[in-house]
Amino acid sequence: MTAAAEALRRGRRAFPLTWGTGSIGLGAVAVVALIPLVYRDQYILSLIVTTFILITLNSSWNFLLGVAGVWNFGHLAIYAAGGYGAGLVMIHSGVSAWLALLGGGLGAALISIALAFPTLRLFGIYTSLLTFSFAQVIQFVILNDKSGITGGTFGLPLVRGLFPSLSPLGSMRAYYWTSLAVAALTVLAVAWIIHTRLGLALRAVRDSLAYGAARGVSALRYRVLAFGVSGFMAGIAGGLYASFNGSIQPSVMGLTAMSIYVTMLVIGGLGTVFGPVLGTALLMIIQTSLVDHPAVELTILGSVLLVIVVFFPRGLIGEIGTLRRRVRDWLSEGGTHETEETEGGARDDLA
Amino acid sequence: MADLVAILTSAVVLGSIYGLVAIGMTLIYGILRVLDMSQGSMVMAGSFVGWAILSSAGWNPVVAMVVAFVLTFALGAVTQLISVQPLLGRGGFDFEMITFITTFAVAIVIQNVALEVFGPRQKGVPPVFDGTLEVYSGVFLPYQSIAMALVSVGLMALLGLFLARSRWGMAIRAVAQDLDAARLMTVPIRRMFPLVMGLASALAGVGGVFLGGLYFASPSAGELPLLYALIVVIFGGLGSLPGTIYAAYAIGLIQAAVSVTIAAKWALPILYAVILVVLVVRPQGLAGRPSEARL
Repeated sequence: MTAAAEALRRGRRAFPLTWGTGSIGLGAVAVVALIPLVYRDQYILSLIVTTFILITLNSSWNFLLGVAGVWNFGHLAIYAAGGYGAGLVMIHSGVSAWLALLGGGLGAALISIALAFPTLRLFGIYTSLLTFSFAQVIQFVILNDKSGITGGTFGLPLVRGLFPSLSPLGSMRAYYWTSLAVAALTVLAVAWIIHTRLGLALRAVRDSLAYGAARGVSALRYRVLAFGVSGFMAGIAGGLYASFNGSIQPSVMGLTAMSIYVTMLVIGGLGTVFGPVLGTALLMIIQTSLVDHPAVELTILGSVLLVIVVFFPRGLIGEIGTLRRRVRDWLSEGGTHETEETEGGARDDLA
Repeated sequence: MADLVAILTSAVVLGSIYGLVAIGMTLIYGILRVLDMSQGSMVMAGSFVGWAILSSAGWNPVVAMVVAFVLTFALGAVTQLISVQPLLGRGGFDFEMITFITTFAVAIVIQNVALEVFGPRQKGVPPVFDGTLEVYSGVFLPYQSIAMALVSVGLMALLGLFLARSRWGMAIRAVAQDLDAARLMTVPIRRMFPLVMGLASALAGVGGVFLGGLYFASPSAGELPLLYALIVVIFGGLGSLPGTIYAAYAIGLIQAAVSVTIAAKWALPILYAVILVVLVVRPQGLAGRPSEARL
């Protein structure tokens, strides 16, 4: 476990939030925000909006899987809960759609916290089994719902959306900027939380439960908090998805969706801040180019997932980090490659 | 009374099938600490073998079972070699979780290759045996189900015999008990792993021939058996063979009872609710070993 924790720690380097990286990030977001002003293809724009929503979802999931180290495979049910919650409020009440979105996020956070208590009694593979089962039950209940509350198999239609009064192009742009802002804020929030007391406690407990507990860190308290934070972000993502699509279906938490999102996370690099962003963007591009051949698409996704996990278990961001360190060490010390094997990674991580 | 007989007979039939698929998963977990998510696709592969041999070629069911056994054995061994073997002994990650993902990736590939080759339509597999038996007034049981239960129990007994008596079986049990000690006794560990995963997959594949006869052969035919097998192994405690067998029949009984008294579609959610309670009250399952100290 300690060797595993050590190596993972090297892969899960924290985001060095400085003025330099901050301004690069802000600049990148600003450039991306300009795209809809010059580019008007509705199909491509809607794909980008979906990518932003998935980046939000995947960042929140990554926070639980990679940063907190809790193998929660029920996260898509939380995401769906946010979507259904926001959708139901939008349909059945007159409150502002933004309030409904917030309500969906808070509801999802509550459900996530409720899921945390039984889940955190378990360890290892049982955690993933319990959460996986939870998602299956939720999906199954909605699929078989004949009461008309959730719409059953066909999903919840006629969600009003955030911008009912705008023209199609205006609405698309508005969604584009909203989801971009939400995604950027989520990534920023995760990068920030990793450095706070909460993030430090989560990483400590992830790497060594006994040591963390011995130093007075309550694993239960911080992990429940992590479930809440992550659930809120996922719920907001779900609400955005429902209002952007105008409907939400039980298939958003299906096995196919889950396998795609897990692939995104693993390819980018679990536990890294930018891993989910890179993985999501990359896979969306691959998926879009294979959209006419769904079976081929999933075959390729499965193979890519397998190859990445077997050859680069730390994901692309992790590999880039290793490569950068090697180059830096090679440049500074004239050919020693072994410096990355020292404790340096651990110290950087806690800095 | 008729209800009770119906519940009991269908519990035995269901339990036997679940046992066959779940025992493979628990065997793999016991030896390798891998929760093999590709077992469902092995059931699916078996059902397609059943379809190809029984329906298209029109050969003997025994041929179908043998072919399914050999094919899924090979498929399982290859799955192990590409998705688990390269990760063995490499530090730097949580082995159980990573193999959960890699075997899942293999399952996605197998399922979608089947989708590409055979198409999404369900294919009827002719039952191995025709007709039904009236067990009790108003309670009918297809001969297919009886045969399936008998074959499952027979295969499980053969597996037990293999594990208890044969040299390879003893080696497998030795590895499950203590990997390092087994290695010191010169058990060829690295050759055991593909063997075990092939064997477990072959059991699931033979189960698939019969399940295909009860339902259909389709690319998604493995999903439901996988979900049930997961429930069974959680309930029984991963890695415990007797626990898995008890759990298989217990789950079969719950499912049969729910199907007869409420509705078949509620069986799965109720089972998951039961599992939720079991995991919270007794996290290591009926007969599993506790994994670590709790918080």
